[in-house]
Amino acid sequence: MKLDSNNLQGKAYWRSLDQLADTPEFQEFLHREFPENASEMTNPVTRRKFLTLMGASIAFAGLAGCRKPVEKIVPYVKAPENIVLGNPLNYATAMPFGLNSYGLLVESHEGRPTKIEGNEKHPVSQGKGNRFTQAEILNLYDPDRSNAVYKQGKRASWEDFKAAWEVLYKEFASSGGEGLAVLSQSFNSPTLYRLYKEFKKVFPKSTWTAYEPVSDENVYEGLRSLSGKVLQPLYSFDKAKVILALDSDFMMSETNDIPAARGFAKGRAVKDIKDDMNRLYIVEHNYTVTGSMADHRLRLQWRQIPAFVKALAGELVKQGLDVPGVTDGGSSSFDAKWLSAVARDLRKNKTRSLVVAGHRQPAEVHALCALINRALGNEGSTVAYTSVDEAVLPSTGGLMQLAGQMQSGKVKALIMLGGNPVYDAPADADFSAAMQKVETTVHLSSRVDETSAQALWHIPAAHFLESWGDVRALDGTPSIVQPLIQPLFNGVEEVRMFHLLATNTDKKTYDVVRETWQKQLSGKDFEKAWRKALVDGVIPTRVRRSAKVSFKNGQINLSAAPFNAQPATAGNPEVVFQASAGMFDGRYANNGWLQELPDPITKLAWDNPVLVSPRTAKELGVSNEDVVSLRLNGREQELPVWIVPGHADNSLTLTLGYGRTRAGRVGNKVGFNVYSLRSSKTFYGAEGASLTRTGKTYTLANTQDHGSMEGRPIVREADLAEYVQNPDFAKEMVVHPPLESLWDEYPYDKGYQWGMTIDLNTCIGCNACMIACQSENNIPVVGKELVHQGREMSWIRLDRYFSGNLEDPEVVYQPVACQQCENAPCEQVCPVAATNHDEEGLNVMVYNRCIGTRYCSNNCPYKVRRFNYFNFTKDYPETIKMAQNPDVTVRSRGVMEKCTYCTQRIERAKISSKNEGRELRDGEVVTACQQTCPTDAIVFGNILDPESQVSKIKAQNRNYELLAELNVKPRTSYLAKLRNPNPELENYNA
Amino acid sequence: MSVTVKNNSITPVLEEPPLITGNQTFASITEKISSITETKPGKGWALGFSIAAFLALILFGSIGFLFWEGVGIWGLNNPVSWGWAIVNFVFWVGIGHAGTLISAILFIFRQRWRTSINRFAEAMTIFAVICALIFPGIHVGRVWVAYFMFPIPNQMEMWPNFRSPLLWDVFAVGTYFSVSLMFWYTGLIPDLATLRDRAKSMLRKRVFGILSLGWRGGNKQWKHYELAYLLLAGLSTPLVLSVHSVVSTDFATSVIPGWHTTIFPPYFVAGAIFSGFAMVLTLAIIARKIFGLEHIITINHFEKMNKIMLLTGMMVGYAYGMEFFIAWYSGNDYETFTFLNRAFGPYAWAYWTMITCNVFIPQLFWFKKIRRSIPAMFVITIFINIGMWFERFVIVVSSLSRDFLPSSWDYYAPTIFDISLLVGSFGLFFTLFLLFIRYLPMIAMSEVKGVMPQADPHYYEKHD
Repeated sequence: MKLDSNNLQGKAYWRSLDQLADTPEFQEFLHREFPENASEMTNPVTRRKFLTLMGASIAFAGLAGCRKPVEKIVPYVKAPENIVLGNPLNYATAMPFGLNSYGLLVESHEGRPTKIEGNEKHPVSQGKGNRFTQAEILNLYDPDRSNAVYKQGKRASWEDFKAAWEVLYKEFASSGGEGLAVLSQSFNSPTLYRLYKEFKKVFPKSTWTAYEPVSDENVYEGLRSLSGKVLQPLYSFDKAKVILALDSDFMMSETNDIPAARGFAKGRAVKDIKDDMNRLYIVEHNYTVTGSMADHRLRLQWRQIPAFVKALAGELVKQGLDVPGVTDGGSSSFDAKWLSAVARDLRKNKTRSLVVAGHRQPAEVHALCALINRALGNEGSTVAYTSVDEAVLPSTGGLMQLAGQMQSGKVKALIMLGGNPVYDAPADADFSAAMQKVETTVHLSSRVDETSAQALWHIPAAHFLESWGDVRALDGTPSIVQPLIQPLFNGVEEVRMFHLLATNTDKKTYDVVRETWQKQLSGKDFEKAWRKALVDGVIPTRVRRSAKVSFKNGQINLSAAPFNAQPATAGNPEVVFQASAGMFDGRYANNGWLQELPDPITKLAWDNPVLVSPRTAKELGVSNEDVVSLRLNGREQELPVWIVPGHADNSLTLTLGYGRTRAGRVGNKVGFNVYSLRSSKTFYGAEGASLTRTGKTYTLANTQDHGSMEGRPIVREADLAEYVQNPDFAKEMVVHPPLESLWDEYPYDKGYQWGMTIDLNTCIGCNACMIACQSENNIPVVGKELVHQGREMSWIRLDRYFSGNLEDPEVVYQPVACQQCENAPCEQVCPVAATNHDEEGLNVMVYNRCIGTRYCSNNCPYKVRRFNYFNFTKDYPETIKMAQNPDVTVRSRGVMEKCTYCTQRIERAKISSKNEGRELRDGEVVTACQQTCPTDAIVFGNILDPESQVSKIKAQNRNYELLAELNVKPRTSYLAKLRNPNPELENYNA
Repeated sequence: MSVTVKNNSITPVLEEPPLITGNQTFASITEKISSITETKPGKGWALGFSIAAFLALILFGSIGFLFWEGVGIWGLNNPVSWGWAIVNFVFWVGIGHAGTLISAILFIFRQRWRTSINRFAEAMTIFAVICALIFPGIHVGRVWVAYFMFPIPNQMEMWPNFRSPLLWDVFAVGTYFSVSLMFWYTGLIPDLATLRDRAKSMLRKRVFGILSLGWRGGNKQWKHYELAYLLLAGLSTPLVLSVHSVVSTDFATSVIPGWHTTIFPPYFVAGAIFSGFAMVLTLAIIARKIFGLEHIITINHFEKMNKIMLLTGMMVGYAYGMEFFIAWYSGNDYETFTFLNRAFGPYAWAYWTMITCNVFIPQLFWFKKIRRSIPAMFVITIFINIGMWFERFVIVVSSLSRDFLPSSWDYYAPTIFDISLLVGSFGLFFTLFLLFIRYLPMIAMSEVKGVMPQADPHYYEKHD
């Protein structure tokens, strides 16, 4: 079947923004079009309309004129090389993310990318992924992406734009670029940087600004203040014995999250009582995933953290360390015992300790941390620096300056390359108004978003999986970005756009990128080197790690304002902005997987309430789901409240990335836009907020209602010392009568017997496995209302439990998927035998046989079975259909589904081993969750093979089976969690 | 002739009060009961029928929408995969218990007072079981393949899973329904013949002629008939115990705390009889009033039923108590939690509704005055019906909503479609019931005649 794009073209009316200006009816229609769908997503009353979620109809999907790959119903007459139908191929590419990049391996079925995994050769992904890399597949196929060039809302063509640019190019070239401004996102790419340089050569008087709503600008600023250079710190968490994280969720929301989590887990891995374990201290205002892993957590207001660092530096100096520029920490109200214990621990572990601060902390804190790390002798072991050369760094100040110039009419033409400043620029930039003052505005964007809607020109951007390009990882390792598919929506690649801007010529991006590398890879056989770069996904380079950089301005001004901030009080609470765990800065707003991914701490999906501590909520007289009106800097935003145990008092956390109006059918009107409260001066945190109750309530959807384990031995946990004393504590936590069966049980003693272990000591709760599973197993998204009802479909979920007191609890995570019980209670009760055991110990679901009595789900003690209450997959747009894994059945209404241990992967591996006439090797079958887990907490394999990794882990003393006392004989087992508290702080409650 | 003449005036002290009052004769009984089916019904019936039929339409409308959209229109969620549909199923099956109990067990125990109410109760059983059978049928996710439940030979050589209690349900309830239907129909034959004989219109003659299967009332026919009836009664007796025992295994064989209990079979049977009697009584009180059957269904009948309700109510109460005791005595933390959660958790309101309606309120039947007060017992039976519905709700929903892992706990709340199906099922029940009392003899004439004084072969000798 070939889609006739000509016939579909007429359906593209909703894109015809010219009509927007024409008739008020159309304006209203346009306005309603997607918000209406979206309002149903958030409206608890209407039913499942959302399921059109990925749905609505093809007509609205803007398929018009898209260059969709031709769908052929005849087999290849001449088969392309390397393609065996049904066998996927993997290609290496890389995903740019700010200044960083993730190296990826993308699975492609007959030219259709379906699954993203990490590239083992890449230093940032190390074969692993996070929620964002996994979810990019859905972004690629997002039916709401723009499919054409628009001028003033009217459909135009790329040729039109080129003609228009030619005029501008000549005009500005003659004036040296006076009045020409470019606003891009930050990038770290040899080719883009080369084109950027060329652009600057042609237009020396032009301005080029990069802006990121969430970035490491403060880190660079802090290090620049010391060294005068742009330095990228590279941490080796695996080498650190003692880690102090200051407002740093380094395992999940800081740059280089995957290597950090991996390194941390490596330092935490315990096989036996003889093994040592690192120790993590954290000081933070809101609970984070990193905080949940901490052995000691100090709950502190965000604005107090600089003062804490200062006090710590003072304490270190007091204990005999030389921190340049620090004589004493000043008088502080911080817990002296905690402070001195941490300082002592850091000092005791000189050269093996690490102090890291989060990107939200001011530059001064980063500078001081660098000095502390140097004083502790950590450079060269846990800390290294590399210079960032071919990159354009983000600058909020630069954006403000640009906005000022725009306001004053100095900017004649503004080219915006990516980003969405109308939505995410600081409110005091008043970017939207400033844009009106610019004659020509061009926006390259994947969708007609808030910014494109106001721009003169909208250029559809190609996804990175559709583009040629290159990127560098933060440690300098370059990768070639190679496309997996032709642009689905007529997207223009970034390199193509840059090239056009710089040279006024349109060139094939493949050639442009090769041109860059022809120079860089000179001296070698270029074709060979190029091909190797594409195959490997990385270009081997000597990574310029330098342990020693000169901090020639190595003085720190401890009288700087942040170090002396007063604590926030009930009358003057602080406001802190955080990037969303799913939406990040808002760029993923139209991604259903990420919208439905629960926040790791609050377990809320589809929303961003203001987070407060239990005490503050009590003082304010608000409870969960109460709507408050938050005033800050003279601006106001209404949003609901959510209470987070362990949050600092008198502190309000706002999550960025929600409340978009032009994200698409999924992301429109989801949550609340808090950018409206954000100003450039108080970029990450502010004071002077006031909060009033409105008397309204707002329903929030969470995936876990109950946070306490009720004293049940679910997540089993001990301190390292207790574990050493009693290595079998995990097994001994449950006493039960001997488990006997009434009949002879099937022995499961032949062939492969699959089993899994999940190490709770290294599971950080980052949610990457959830998205990996969703992508691999075609799991539908159900929408806010159904999540609220408790019908989310995730096959693997991350249970989060609080323990201890409400103000200052501990958090533990437990990933729970089907445990593949040998004595499965679900199987016995199914009246039609739709769920059975196979001879390899898998509890298999036969979708065709399932009639949907849901008895199995009732009888599952782990409640891991998920039911298709509606036909969630019926109305998928064509492009979303392309995102489905062809190896996994797309389920329809009325059937039960659940984790299968990725049976399709097992079968594929078995087939290839059979073809080669051999047994499967250990590690040959990798489940999707295991594959992506940054900390390798999940291990899967044949438990009959005593040499397999999973068997060895199951033999460890921390191994226990969840609810084993029911005699269900689960094949998944857990390794008990350990904490390594400082004996000095034993039984100490900060 | 005999030496000693039985003196009619010396009534043994222990002799029961007469079952039928008002100096009825065979003819008056026939007239009274047959005429209801032969004359145009009153406005009350028409009104009741319109309401019931309307509600039944709501049921079918809701089912249509359910089939169209999927079971997601209900309030079900992940821990609570069974909601009102299964609650309603168990509730209606329970209601359906009284009929067979009254017909079969009381027949075998020669409880002659049953004759006035047995037809009624049997009809009620059948209608209740029809209502019950709807729910497991419609509650599956893919109704179009619900037939997989039946052991139908097929090309896949695929049998249902005989280990599943849901399959046992299919057989147990199916058997119960067919035997109850047969039993009811067999009992109807002599009365259908009476209606045939009285029929004036051709249509009635034809219909009742076919339905009465050539009944002539000859001795041989009566002999075979009574043997058949006795055999069917014998066949039905174990079913009274088996149906709800099997239904209870849906829960008892599972691993869920609050379900996994060996007390369930007797507890469910007692509860079923309890609720069934309450429903029979509720209906009988209304029908008796409307059709003026006070002499046939007397206050003595009611009192006996109230006593049975008092007994079964206490059995149910004992079961509630025993569940708590075992939860504590077993030392199983999950079990203990489940029961504390029932009484004090988010569904405590449902639990205490159940306890109040099923345990406390029926205690009023200790007072003879209340046992014999029609308004009082009417109200109490309604309470029992409510309480017994809540019992099933508590068992099904509260156990599921909080089981082993607190992470998956969630609260279940019904939607409008849960409610419309329950209300609609009452509509269907009353529609069928009103049609029954309109077109068929609601009291077993031939059996009532058998317990009248005139039926005594020596009755007329007394008047020498």
